[in-house]
Amino acid sequence: MNTKKLVFIFLSIAFMFTSCSSDDDITPTEPLGDYENGILISHEGNFGQGNASVSFVSYDLMTTENNIFSAVNSSPLGDTAESIAFEGNFAYIVLNISNTIEIVNRYTFESVGTISTGLNNPRYIAFANGKGYVTNWGDGSVTTDDYLAVIDVMTNTLDAQTIAVAEGPERIVANGNTLYVAHKGGFSQNNIISVVDASSNMVLSTITVGDVPNSLKFDSSGNLWVLSEGKPAWTGDETAGQLSKINTSNNAITTFNFETSEHPEFLAEENGALYYYMSGSVFKMNSEATTLPTTTELTGLNFYGMTVNNSTLYGVDAVDFTSNGTLSTYDLTSNAIIDSVTLNIIPSEIYFN
Amino acid sequence: MRDITTFFLVLLFGCIAQAQTSTDSIQQLDEVVLSDVKLKRYANGYKLTVLNDSILRKNSTSLTDVLRFNSNMYFKENGYGMVSSPSFRGTNASQTAVIWNGININSQLNGQVDFNTIATSNYNSISIKSGGGSVQYGSGAIGGTIHLSNDFNFKKHVDYEVQFGYGSFNTKNTHYKTSFGNRTWAGNFGVAYVDSDNDYKFLGTNRKNENGAFNNLDINFNLGYIISTKDVLKLYHQNFRSDRELSSTLLAPSSSKYETEDYRSMVEWVHIEDNYTSSLKTVHLLEEFKYFENKDLDNFSKGQANTWLIKHHYKRHFSKRLVLSVITDYSYMTAEGNSFSNPKRNAFSATAILNHRPISKLQYTLNVRKDVISDFESPLVFSGDISYQLFKPYTLKFNASKNFRVPTFNDLYWNPGGNLDLEPEASYQLDFGHELKFKNIDFKLNTFYIETSNLIQWRPNSSSGYWNPVNIANAKHYGLEAELNFTKRKGNHTLFLTTAYSYTETEDVEKNQQLFYVPVHKTNASISYNYKSFTAFYQHLYNGEVAIIGNTLDGFDVGNFGFAYTFNTNKEISYIADFRINNIYNTYYENVALRPMPNRNFNIKLTLKF
Repeated sequence: MNTKKLVFIFLSIAFMFTSCSSDDDITPTEPLGDYENGILISHEGNFGQGNASVSFVSYDLMTTENNIFSAVNSSPLGDTAESIAFEGNFAYIVLNISNTIEIVNRYTFESVGTISTGLNNPRYIAFANGKGYVTNWGDGSVTTDDYLAVIDVMTNTLDAQTIAVAEGPERIVANGNTLYVAHKGGFSQNNIISVVDASSNMVLSTITVGDVPNSLKFDSSGNLWVLSEGKPAWTGDETAGQLSKINTSNNAITTFNFETSEHPEFLAEENGALYYYMSGSVFKMNSEATTLPTTTELTGLNFYGMTVNNSTLYGVDAVDFTSNGTLSTYDLTSNAIIDSVTLNIIPSEIYFN
Repeated sequence: MRDITTFFLVLLFGCIAQAQTSTDSIQQLDEVVLSDVKLKRYANGYKLTVLNDSILRKNSTSLTDVLRFNSNMYFKENGYGMVSSPSFRGTNASQTAVIWNGININSQLNGQVDFNTIATSNYNSISIKSGGGSVQYGSGAIGGTIHLSNDFNFKKHVDYEVQFGYGSFNTKNTHYKTSFGNRTWAGNFGVAYVDSDNDYKFLGTNRKNENGAFNNLDINFNLGYIISTKDVLKLYHQNFRSDRELSSTLLAPSSSKYETEDYRSMVEWVHIEDNYTSSLKTVHLLEEFKYFENKDLDNFSKGQANTWLIKHHYKRHFSKRLVLSVITDYSYMTAEGNSFSNPKRNAFSATAILNHRPISKLQYTLNVRKDVISDFESPLVFSGDISYQLFKPYTLKFNASKNFRVPTFNDLYWNPGGNLDLEPEASYQLDFGHELKFKNIDFKLNTFYIETSNLIQWRPNSSSGYWNPVNIANAKHYGLEAELNFTKRKGNHTLFLTTAYSYTETEDVEKNQQLFYVPVHKTNASISYNYKSFTAFYQHLYNGEVAIIGNTLDGFDVGNFGFAYTFNTNKEISYIADFRINNIYNTYYENVALRPMPNRNFNIKLTLKF
């Protein structure tokens, strides 16, 4: 029996006593599973080495459990976990090199099904109109075979029809029945956002943004923020990063330009504040600001993934890619580190369950 | 018969031969046919294991299999027939040099040799020299060197050999060889072809090895000509082509493939005088690869590297016991491909080797070498070895060396990541050996210590966002190797037993952990029995557990069994039928994580010699 279970039993008993002694008629909610109420971290693992994994970390960072998929299901997760998407009680884990999506109960991590055909270099999923939309690169070196695969959430199978899109679709987000796909560009570099209608499965338009858009975030006013990292120096055509605000009602775009040598990533948004990571530092910008910030909030970091939740910044460090990575949390009011825990090989994405 | 060959031999080694016994003259015969004379002459303090013709014939065609079952080397093979890299005393693939007829053929691109791109049937012998050899063989000779040799036989003869083989997984292998000699000319020509669907079943599953088919073709042509009593000319040429799908793993499907092509050509002119010999080699090496992400599309990335090399070896006999060699070479290398513009490298090296045998029981060699390479500073390297026969069956051997590995073209110029500030890796090592030679038993025990610094590793760079090679790691290796050979003949019965065991401890000093993919224990044994025309053999490999990233991979035992019968229809012609069962216990094993190796499989070969 693990600590979490013990804690849980203890809490349930305590709760029973309190509910018994209380006059209020509170029915305790049935626990949904071991992994409810905590942080899920997907780990890419090493390319081709089949050591992708998911870790569970409690919000207080006191409990960490690595390899939860294989622990629960007694089988390895797969090769290169790119991302996890959630819909209802399900978590969809996208395994890029395995060309599969593992579907699990998000609270128990018990396997519900596997989608293993119809995917080619799958990356991210968003849900709209009762369907899941999976970005697929196709062959990384081919620019004309990129598509969205469509998951029928009722059956957890793929629809026969796919939606052809431009080169290198990466992150995807939904606003109602409208999907926004950021095209980083696969093995090369792209600079567009595709707007897809989930009711007709048609590409409505494309919006040009900075080179290599890596993050998509909505703010509370319904604006879509796109962070582009720019083309890296090694391409021989280095370009500046760019932050773009897209008004989703008319696709009007406002842009903020970085310096050519600046390549920001990991855009996060909370309560009207935007956060991003660049060259080992975290920057914060008010969504109403008219210029990019020039001062740093946190420095000396080595993040491979970052997000913000409840005034806390979460960052994962993949170290040298062959040692265990870490998760660190920072209090965004004081900018002080709260805690740090050791994870597994190459942690990348952070989710709140 | 006083043919010109003998004359030539006497001349070449005359001054040494005078004082030597009849057993030595047999060794000299070996030496004249070998292009890589240094190997035997200047390696007395090193452990040398020679795999001759008959061992090579008994084994299957891949060099990986031959060495895995017959030496202390460990191989990391990405699925059967796929890219295979060696580890020698715990060093990595680019720290093991492969020497083709005296020339280092490690790739200029990645520093390694893929041992599944070497066909064994076209070599007369393969030798394994344990321990650092950078002084004589250049960059990358840290763990040890593997020597592929084509020999010349100037005795009057014409021999042919044709072989057809067929085995499980639709594996077809065939070779044709011919060898001739007529006192002034000697030559051999060989073609070997292997083709396999390689779609073996993964034991315990309903899956099979997908996308694992491969084929390869090796063409070898060598010619020697005795111009005069003082001059001999030798020509070597080899072309190896392979076309391999890159197999899926248990968790990752694959549709990619990899094509490689190697051309190696060399002309050597040897001139012999009473007190010196001179050898001049001119060499051209070309390596090419094409990688197809999707084998069904004509969409690939490619790379190639050219090496032009000129090498002179001057050997002076001061006395019958004292020989000085001076080796100078100049090479010019270029590469081109999708991931780099056109890098070039000029390299010059000078080596001096002093070999002295003050008394018949004691022999030592001192070596020093300096490389001058464009792009970076290369260290002065040296080595010394000594062998001393304590008493009749017991010889002590010791060698110490400083070795190096230069950054490859990929390390320096790969876009993105290539780092022009890299320095060569440096390695110091000590090796202490014992050899016991009895009539039927031959035992070798070596202990070694290797320390490498400035190891080049590709690491993620948080400021650039991509990976860079950096001189970052330091490693220590120590361990022991034991080798036992036993031969017993009684009447028409012959029994051979060879075993090798290696114990290897490694440490990544920075991380204080074991190096990945180095087994602490590895043992192999081979026993063969011969009665008249009948031969049977059994070979066994125990490969211990290895550390992998974040985990360990279980060790395994695997055994092969085979027998052969030679039909002598008459003296002129003989037929040999070989039958072989690989993985006789049908063991499930993974040599690299998630890449199951073949289940029990069969192979039959018919060889015709005339």
